Amino acid sequence: MVNLDELIRQAQELQPLPVSTVRLASLVASSHTDLEDICEVIAYDQALTMTLLRAANSAADAGVSEVTQVHEAVFRLGGARILSLAMSVSTRSLLKRGVPAYGLNEGDLWLHSVAAASVAETIAEFAAEPLPPETFTAALLHDLGKLVMGRFLDPFDLEMIHRAQSEGGLDPLTAERQILSVHHGELGGIIAQHWKLPEKIVKGIIFHHTPAEGLDLICDAVYVANLVAKPVVNASLPTAVVDPEVMERLGVEQTRLDELTAAAREHYESVSERYNAN
Amino acid sequence: MAITPDNFKFIQAFARDTAAIVLEAGKEYLVETRLTPIAMQTGFATLDEFINQLRRDPKATLFHEQVIDAITTNETSFFRDFHPFEALRQHILPKLIEQRAGVRRLNIWSAASSTGQELYTIAMIIREHFPQLRDWNVQILGTDLSPTVLTQARQGIYSQLEVNRGLPAPLLMKYFTKVDAKWALKDEVKKLVEFKQLNLIKPWPIMPALDVVFIRNVMIYFNVETKKTILKRIRQCLQPQGCIFLGTAETTINLDTELVPMTIGKATVYQCKPALVPA
Repeated sequence: MVNLDELIRQAQELQPLPVSTVRLASLVASSHTDLEDICEVIAYDQALTMTLLRAANSAADAGVSEVTQVHEAVFRLGGARILSLAMSVSTRSLLKRGVPAYGLNEGDLWLHSVAAASVAETIAEFAAEPLPPETFTAALLHDLGKLVMGRFLDPFDLEMIHRAQSEGGLDPLTAERQILSVHHGELGGIIAQHWKLPEKIVKGIIFHHTPAEGLDLICDAVYVANLVAKPVVNASLPTAVVDPEVMERLGVEQTRLDELTAAAREHYESVSERYNAN
Repeated sequence: MAITPDNFKFIQAFARDTAAIVLEAGKEYLVETRLTPIAMQTGFATLDEFINQLRRDPKATLFHEQVIDAITTNETSFFRDFHPFEALRQHILPKLIEQRAGVRRLNIWSAASSTGQELYTIAMIIREHFPQLRDWNVQILGTDLSPTVLTQARQGIYSQLEVNRGLPAPLLMKYFTKVDAKWALKDEVKKLVEFKQLNLIKPWPIMPALDVVFIRNVMIYFNVETKKTILKRIRQCLQPQGCIFLGTAETTINLDTELVPMTIGKATVYQCKPALVPA
């Protein structure tokens, strides 16, 4: 059986994020930051500079003229997208791993994560309330906990989680919590804290299945992003079933869910290039 | 390590008789999950061997305590469900302070306090929002069946995971100190509360007249008769304007007709019918 302390220890032993990504996260989260501060951080990171320039010229974000300077890329993409992109560069190899315990083959989690980030961008267009700038990044990282959890669950744990659902009638998240005393959202939150990411990102990850407990719009947006990302990646899936109260808090009419999904699918296809998703 | 039907029946009866916990059919997986680690730690090759030992030795009290500890669901968190604490802060405490100004005394009870988060939430609300209560006699009592959870509650030390579950960052910074990888509550909050062991289905000690009772997500594990008995006993200890908080999925309907629900914001509290309130 997996031990809770061991799971948490493993979550806290993941390789740290690059200093520039952490700094960028803190700048984007701060209300006192201007884009010049962000440019300064990026200028010291060559790999990130290349990624941003490519992204700023990609199909989803390209303007009339080609972007060749960091500050032009930053102004074109904005802080929220920049952070999400920087995070994708830092976590891509991690999120590309397969997680058989969750039925995820190599690359599946990465596609879902990028889709969730792009759905979050679409939600921002639909929502009546402005979303926190950390939202896209929280959506990208929301399933981080599965990576650690998936590596350490043994056959006994998996069988019990399965039986808690089939015999106990629990939903997957409650089953995980009842059997392991922690669910993948909470474990993802521990990783985000270990990476010193802003509190809103941590919250968005922890409460992505239970947004009412998070008491923050970022939790609502990440919850919807996670659900809508599934039919966005796999068009044969039906439109997601979303809690109407969450939609109300976001200021998106429930009747617009199909429209949101269609827009998110279109957006995902164009941002895949930006995230180098495939 | 599947449990045999006969041993599951034994654990069902044991949980019912010791703690009034109802383990329905279909909960075999839960018993296996919770008791298998204990069986392994105590040197038994299988869960059934461990339960057979329990059955052979009714005096194996150490095992009994471990089994009840393991079977009891100790789910709790800071500001769990949020709305009851908003109702407490915005409406109930201000009103009680007005009503009790003459005696300057308040008694608050968390009847299944588990590892203490509910009680400490109340204490932090009082510390944060009601400075006028500093020179009142305020008793904030937490009780639980399990000595293990009471020990953690009294220590007031929580993991990152536990504080992540609902505790707002400003309160974490204000009332906790980081000790290695854990968070320790400061004495200014700890000293406001008291924890005692109490089995709700056994005789209770003499209780003070209670102003607020939190008994949330506890009675869902009991049968109807036990629920009725406990609600009646609480009602008999309640002050005239006192109130009871139950879990979100719990109600007094068909259990106690003398308690009536009242909606405050998004929370529901239960009070005695006015006609029954002693003059």
